[in-house]
Amino acid sequence: MSEQLARRFTTLCLAKGEYKKSGQAWVATLSPRDLPAAAQELLDAEFHIEDVCGLDISEGLMAVYHFDHFTRPGRVTLRVLADRDKPEIPTISHIFQGANWHERETNDFYGIIFTGHPNLIPLLLPEDADFHPLLKEEAARKNAAALLEKGEILDQAAGFTLFDAPVADAPIESGASGEGEAAGEGGK
Amino acid sequence: MNAIPIELIHIVIAIALVAGFVGLNGLVLVWVERKVAGHVQRRPGPYEVGPNGLLQPLADAAKLVGKQLFTPDGSDKLVFWLAPIVSFLPVMPMFLPMPFSPFLTAMEVNVGLVLILAFAGLNILALCLAGWGSNNKYGLLGAGRAVAQGVAYEIPLLLSVLAVCFMTGSLSLTEIVAAQGNWPWQWNWIYQPIAFILYFTCGVAETNRAPFDLPEAESELVAGFHTEYSGMGFGLFFLAEYAEMIVVCGVATALFLGGWKGPGAAGAWWFLLKLYVLLVIMIWFRWTYPRTRFDQLLNLCWKWLLPLSILNLLVTALVIKL
Amino acid sequence: MTRTINPDYIRGDLYTQRFEQGKRENTLILNMGPQHPSTHGVLRVVLEMDGEYIVRAEPVLGYLHRMHEKMAEVKSYVGFMPNMGRVDYLHPLAWNWSYAGAVERLAGIEVPRRAEFLRVIATELNRISSHLLWWGAYLLDLGAFTPIMYAFEDREILMDILQRPTGARLTYSYFRLGGVGADMDERCLRQILDFVPYLRKKLPVYKDLVTDNVILRKRLEGVGDMDVDMCRRYGATGPILRGAGLASDTRLNETYSVYNEIDFDIPSFPETDAMARYMVRIREIEESLKIVEQAVAMIPEGEILIKGAPKPNWKAPAGEAYFATEGARGKVGVWVVSDGGKSPYRIKLRAPGFSNLSLFAEASQGTLLADAVAIMGSIDMVIPEIDR
Repeated sequence: MSEQLARRFTTLCLAKGEYKKSGQAWVATLSPRDLPAAAQELLDAEFHIEDVCGLDISEGLMAVYHFDHFTRPGRVTLRVLADRDKPEIPTISHIFQGANWHERETNDFYGIIFTGHPNLIPLLLPEDADFHPLLKEEAARKNAAALLEKGEILDQAAGFTLFDAPVADAPIESGASGEGEAAGEGGK
Repeated sequence: MNAIPIELIHIVIAIALVAGFVGLNGLVLVWVERKVAGHVQRRPGPYEVGPNGLLQPLADAAKLVGKQLFTPDGSDKLVFWLAPIVSFLPVMPMFLPMPFSPFLTAMEVNVGLVLILAFAGLNILALCLAGWGSNNKYGLLGAGRAVAQGVAYEIPLLLSVLAVCFMTGSLSLTEIVAAQGNWPWQWNWIYQPIAFILYFTCGVAETNRAPFDLPEAESELVAGFHTEYSGMGFGLFFLAEYAEMIVVCGVATALFLGGWKGPGAAGAWWFLLKLYVLLVIMIWFRWTYPRTRFDQLLNLCWKWLLPLSILNLLVTALVIKL
Repeated sequence: MTRTINPDYIRGDLYTQRFEQGKRENTLILNMGPQHPSTHGVLRVVLEMDGEYIVRAEPVLGYLHRMHEKMAEVKSYVGFMPNMGRVDYLHPLAWNWSYAGAVERLAGIEVPRRAEFLRVIATELNRISSHLLWWGAYLLDLGAFTPIMYAFEDREILMDILQRPTGARLTYSYFRLGGVGADMDERCLRQILDFVPYLRKKLPVYKDLVTDNVILRKRLEGVGDMDVDMCRRYGATGPILRGAGLASDTRLNETYSVYNEIDFDIPSFPETDAMARYMVRIREIEESLKIVEQAVAMIPEGEILIKGAPKPNWKAPAGEAYFATEGARGKVGVWVVSDGGKSPYRIKLRAPGFSNLSLFAEASQGTLLADAVAIMGSIDMVIPEIDR
């Protein structure tokens, strides 16, 4: 992906990844409402969707989107952080139809609600499953800075603090830092 | 007190013999089919029960008879259990006019061919009943396919048979065989090659054998019309299919391949030999070809086989007239 | 005697009920699977049928879900490797590789050169065995019973070969973090070299017997169009993408290991139909043979595992890494997130079959039931991989 394309997204934080170390060429953190536009830009630039994953961190629930190009390699990672109490992220299944199932899976595992999704019912879990298996115990959660690649930051919105939290092995106390804090076990 | 008419005794004995023949040949055919399939697929086939697996069909039959007969919820019980019987029973009269040799014909009927073809048509009714009665969507789709396919292929089949009848001027199988010579080039398949190919193709389709086994296409319809049948319910359909194969190949032998006639001593062995050669060819088809698609199957019939058989009939009629 | 039917049977479950909401008049809802001969395991597809034509289709997944991703979070890095043999049981070595590659990338482990070649050889042989099984099973779907026996005969030899270094016949866990588990000895390499010409001689026979069969061609040509744009929107990769005419392969596109030192082609066919995907896989068998032949010739002496390779109590450095390899079905990706502990913080398994199957609903619209079977088979799905 060219920097030109990357700059076209509205991002909270845009960074160049270290491909050899993490397999990611570009890493962008977005606010939920900017996600569909970014996905559309990627589709127009002939990227394909690889997957949508969830991640349970102490700042909230994160959805991670991986995109890649069929002929020009360079993985683009979009990260969207959602509030643990109200984990809502707009769907991109109308842009990348393949995201439909990935979003349903993420909804199964984390309880992230993809607003506007046409068919957000359990995909891999039984239809009456009332739990989200990949949510972590509060004590086991780590913060984003301890887990995720920060990359070489090119552009950062004012007030963006996701990666500024101290990297510590001990779990961050609830309510210590970051946006969208959760109290108790999120998403039931 | 009236004596029992000799005709009736004749028919009873004939039917008993035919039942024995069908049963025995059914068993033999199961063995042949599995053995041929095995060797086509580079494996030995049945091997354990009896010498070379010869008793395997008996073990299969014992298993089928021993199974519980199961009627699915919401099915039409009468229709459901009528279907296998309707499928199997008409097979018996179909063997009556079959000319195994001049001295070995169960019943001389001067319209034998009509009798056979008429009873062959009943099989479609049985498949239809089975699919409808079992309250199963796959069964229903299978029945729909069976009817469409059966109706379509009956017509070129009849027309190709008619061409031979035109030549001989008879509907009696014995007479048709008698009209042919002893040597392969004196048989009807030389005079009616198109009719022979048409007949055999339609015969494969009529008996629902691969590559035309659409009513029971297992990778699409699970088992089609007999999805819900267990034990001998399935067993009867199975036996009826093999019996129909024998009938189709038997008629082909009589019409096109000179029946009991052959170089050297004519007799029933020639008939049986030719019959089994045709049967093995049918089995060979099944284990070689992929299945056709439904629309392709009907296209083949309506667009190619039917016009071809009509043309063949017209040419035959013209040549005979001249 | 009348029987009453349990109304729950008629009502159907959540998926049927939701599917029925958009039902047209005079159509039939057909649940194909989870136990159906051509859904290869336990896929279920709800179909709306107008006679033999499919109006709508929706796959229902999850009947073989084992939650490998949760298992990863309680297992050690080393202990999770056997799971990778069970995600896709037809091409487990690609999963072995993706997982090992992701962790190695995370920890900055350099794999010895001999191990890289062993990985290439084993994975390509495994790819051939996967394609052979697909070939047999696909023809079974199309009603030809015999090819699967021929395919299994050849596959059996491959399994014998792979059994020597890996110790398994189906669910291989051959890779280690930092190398491979066992060396291939002279005898094994010789067996491999014998196998290459053997299969090369067999492939033209299969082409004559099966690929050129007119019934098969009529069944496959023009059926199930999947173009590059569709692949992009659904994230479909592998033979589907190459059958759409784009020669894209993770082995070269996002090259890893020693693939860039080996000379091989990426077959692609522009027809976008089921036949194109069929041809891609058949050609890929030949290309894999080429790779194996070269790799065996090029293999250097040396270590097969790094010194101090990770043990079960090994701690990975904190961070994240994504590693993708080319499996028999497409791009196999593993995303590892580590918090510096003994077990992964999060592992995402990107199964190619999952994305590939999501195309089915769109591709099967308006086709015949028999075509749907042909399309489903041409996707080459392995349910344990899709459900994970």
